[in-house]
Amino acid sequence: MGSSLPPKEANLFKVIVKSYETKQYKKGLKAADSILKKFPEHGETLSMKGLTLNCMDRKSEAYELVRRGLKNDLKSHVCWHVYGLLYRSDREYREAIKCYRNALRIDPDNIEILRDLSLLQAQMRDLSGFVETRQQLLSLKPNHRMNWIGFAVARHLNSNSSKAIEVLEAYEGTLEDDYPPDNERYEHSEMLLYKMSLFEECGMLDRALEEMQKKESKIVDKLSFKEQMASVLFKLGRFDDSESIYRSLLFMNPDNYKYFIAVQKCLGLYSDNGQYSADDVERLSSLYNSLKEKYAWSSAVKRIPLDFLEGEKFQEAADNYVRPLLTKGVPSLFSDLSPLYEHPGKANILEQLFLKIEDSIRTSGCFPGSPQKEPPSTLLWTLFLISQHYDRRGQYEIALNKIDEAISHTPTVIDLYSVKGKVLQHAGNFAAAAALADEARSMDLADRYLNSECVMQMLQADQVGLAEKTAVLFTKDGDQHNNLHDMQCMWYELASGESYYRQGDLGRALKNFLAVEKHYADMTEDQFDFHSYCLRKMTLRAYVSMLKFQDRLHAHEYFHKAAAGAIRCYMKLHDSPAKSSTEENDEMSKLPPAQRKKLRQKQKKAEARAKREAEEKHEDETASSNSSKSGKKHSRPVDPDPHGEKLIQIEDPLAEATKYLKLLQNNSSDSLETHILSFELNMRKQKVLLAFQAVKQLIKLDENNPDSHRCLIKFFHKINSLPAPLTDSEKLIWNVLEAERPDIRQLHGRSLIEVNRSFLEKHNASLTHRAAAAEMMYLLEPDKKMESIKLIEDSTNNTSSGDNALGPVKEWQIQDCIDVHKLLEKVFGDQDVANRWKARCAEYFPYSTYFEGIKSAIAAYAVDRSLDSSPENGLASNPQLRLKEIEPGTLNGTLHIVDDLSSLSIR
Amino acid sequence: MVCIRQATIDDLLAMQACNLMCLPENYQMKYYLYHMLSWPQLLFVAEDYGGRIVGYVLAKMEEDPSEPCHGHITSLAVLRTHRKLGLATKLMSAAQAAMDQVFGAEYVSLHVRRSNRAAFNLYTSTLGYQIHDIEAKYYADGEDAFDMRKPLRQPQPKKHHHHHHHHGPGGCCSHDVPAAAVGSSPQSSNSPDKRANT
Repeated sequence: MGSSLPPKEANLFKVIVKSYETKQYKKGLKAADSILKKFPEHGETLSMKGLTLNCMDRKSEAYELVRRGLKNDLKSHVCWHVYGLLYRSDREYREAIKCYRNALRIDPDNIEILRDLSLLQAQMRDLSGFVETRQQLLSLKPNHRMNWIGFAVARHLNSNSSKAIEVLEAYEGTLEDDYPPDNERYEHSEMLLYKMSLFEECGMLDRALEEMQKKESKIVDKLSFKEQMASVLFKLGRFDDSESIYRSLLFMNPDNYKYFIAVQKCLGLYSDNGQYSADDVERLSSLYNSLKEKYAWSSAVKRIPLDFLEGEKFQEAADNYVRPLLTKGVPSLFSDLSPLYEHPGKANILEQLFLKIEDSIRTSGCFPGSPQKEPPSTLLWTLFLISQHYDRRGQYEIALNKIDEAISHTPTVIDLYSVKGKVLQHAGNFAAAAALADEARSMDLADRYLNSECVMQMLQADQVGLAEKTAVLFTKDGDQHNNLHDMQCMWYELASGESYYRQGDLGRALKNFLAVEKHYADMTEDQFDFHSYCLRKMTLRAYVSMLKFQDRLHAHEYFHKAAAGAIRCYMKLHDSPAKSSTEENDEMSKLPPAQRKKLRQKQKKAEARAKREAEEKHEDETASSNSSKSGKKHSRPVDPDPHGEKLIQIEDPLAEATKYLKLLQNNSSDSLETHILSFELNMRKQKVLLAFQAVKQLIKLDENNPDSHRCLIKFFHKINSLPAPLTDSEKLIWNVLEAERPDIRQLHGRSLIEVNRSFLEKHNASLTHRAAAAEMMYLLEPDKKMESIKLIEDSTNNTSSGDNALGPVKEWQIQDCIDVHKLLEKVFGDQDVANRWKARCAEYFPYSTYFEGIKSAIAAYAVDRSLDSSPENGLASNPQLRLKEIEPGTLNGTLHIVDDLSSLSIR
Repeated sequence: MVCIRQATIDDLLAMQACNLMCLPENYQMKYYLYHMLSWPQLLFVAEDYGGRIVGYVLAKMEEDPSEPCHGHITSLAVLRTHRKLGLATKLMSAAQAAMDQVFGAEYVSLHVRRSNRAAFNLYTSTLGYQIHDIEAKYYADGEDAFDMRKPLRQPQPKKHHHHHHHHGPGGCCSHDVPAAAVGSSPQSSNSPDKRANT
């Protein structure tokens, strides 16, 4: 390095490198400048100066200098390496890899560059390249443990587990017999467990077992070891041995459900769909009865049988299960039981059981058939349970009566208010739900959970401003107003984005959706440091699973929601563009020149002032935020577009939307929503074949879905209405469609009108299907408008089957009815019909503010303060205004919010 | 009712969401990754019957060679809706056992807000922690922390706490102030192990 320089300058060059490594950039810069004074065109010095400036946030100079340096010395590996580092710092990994490769062409055995290259290859999943580089590193430095491990991991990642094992065995061959020393025991144990998992992964089960028996004494992570041993034995068909290990694991942790499932599997008593023969149920019962004796303190042994028992036995077991929990007052009892509501018949049994208990406690103060007096709180928790039961069944009125009774029984139990808020939310009164959640919050201001729940309800009610003020009570970090974004609080950003979208503020909506998208990009970036770290730490099993986790990161639910939200925003921007600055310029051009000049100057001044103020504010913030114990704060660049106003000025919104659609298609291809968005977007882009692909996917995933049907009809209706093809490419598209059409079973020899009719006949009893068929009928035959509308109005809200102790349960869901209302209003454009529909639904959903049901008046639930309705706080209290915000399209009309905590989970 | 098990990498996003719901001290995903990729044995979750993460413990080993080998509880949380099940106790016991067995920790330490009586009671009366020190103004809002410790390498009075369920604290348990370096600047964190917390 710096070899072409005379000794004095060569020394200075070393100073630059050293200063860069120790982050003394000013010193490095000085040294570079004094070399450049004598040798102004010295390539490596120019490059290093650029790299140094890059660390001082002088990006454009940095690129200029590095490129000039390289041009002056194309044969220098330093210049290429520096160029690569520069790209790497900007996350331009592909470009960086090219530079490193050029550097290695000049200096093939440069360890440092090879190592840097290998990290990028791991990051970019260039797996064959990664194997190659790690192999070279091992042959250059075979005395480094890390090089053996790195080569093995590379081979494993490149789908060659058995070769990976060979490398690890060769590495073990280099170790002494008494290895490891005490301070390496953990690392060595992790390496061995990794190797054992490789044997298992490539099906060498006997070898795995042999290895485990031989090396057991060197394993410190006994839990993983036992789990793996049990798993290998199971795969070898040695079920008895496997079972006895699982039983010993249960002894260590009787709360791990997976061990119970595993014991069942060893005994041949497990089915994926939960269906068992009478004989199996018998055997399972006796298994759990015996386990109950062994693990009396385990709640799992009592809960699991509720899944497989039926009828009377189920009722008896459920009775025994809930009693002690009601006495104790366990608030999560309902959520624990709620998966049983998916089992046919069990909800009714539970309902009768709960009501029997309630009645008995009321009349005798005891559980049915028990002489033992219950404490007064048992009635409270029974009412709490029953309220949630009726909420789940959609019988909101009973649910509210029960919870109100519980509240008057003991007004100080906070959880009662939370549940009441949830019931009101499900019943369609978001503002009242938010008020209840706020009441709960005010009862314990130190509990962030109550705060979060309240914020969630406020956002659902479109009270964004109030929600932020409430959230901030917990998110102040020093002088920083709100650290929700820094802490990657995605539910908040998603719910805010969805609320802004509902209110038509696309800028702020996009801002929030893109913020979530950025968190995922940052998480992808987060893995970079661990490529070398884990090889040192030897946490190889965790490392490999982290890489796999990263590969499917964008399939995660929050990302999906954010991307879908962003795509919808962009489509809306395309349909009705925001006023752009060029349009404003147009307006300005109508003014006389002198006035125009004045106006421009004024604008410039205002901009400069705004910028200055923002910077000053920023300096204030950074200056005073060093107080907290958590150490120094990094300076934060000012957000030049806090409300997303620039985001909506985008030139080609559909191109932006396409970026996010691609991510959804790559990562969430089994979601209907992905393909519905693809259809909507590609129809707008007039990409006929891509839209057709979307239709095909929808039909494949769920041909009975109303939206799949809509897309199918809309697509061919559009195609049929196009003029005959003229250009070659049009003819080509035409031919493809003609060739594909016979593959769509629905269309065989039938007109679209017939297709729609048979869809209707098939799903005659369902409101959502009838609505879709009616909408398509109107599209295909506009003169049949009245007939279409009649189709919708003739739908009946049937009582769902099953005997219910307290009145019938209607089938229709509130959200579906809202969608139909929007359809009548916007697509059919018939206000009278829409009003009729609204009045009808107000009967079904008396608490709904949307339908203005008789019990929807906010005053009845507002606890101690009236909600103001400034624009920031949404329009929730004025349903008339809300209706105007609703958009015409039906497919992209509904955005469902992060519903409650249950959708926060990641499965 | 609730499954207690070792966390996997796929639990981390849910753990972060659970933390953000319950506690005022929050961390970026990289910090969860750092724990998972350094001491995968020390992370446990409580998973309800529907598969939702309702509690977790995030723990680590302190690697300062000048101190005896010991573990540290970075963060512990249980959703408010899942109180009264003894989940915090079970999660803590699991993490402590792993520190002892896998890493040979001599003791385990943690920080708790002075005002958090419920958590303090859990640590002292149920789990056997004692106040080792008081760190003045440890938290960002100026509140003091109790620096608490529990020895692991002595004969334990009881292995199982199952016989009597303790009424653990509400949703809100301990803990550490987020390390600033985990925060905004990726350049500052070239090697994850430099970013020790507290």
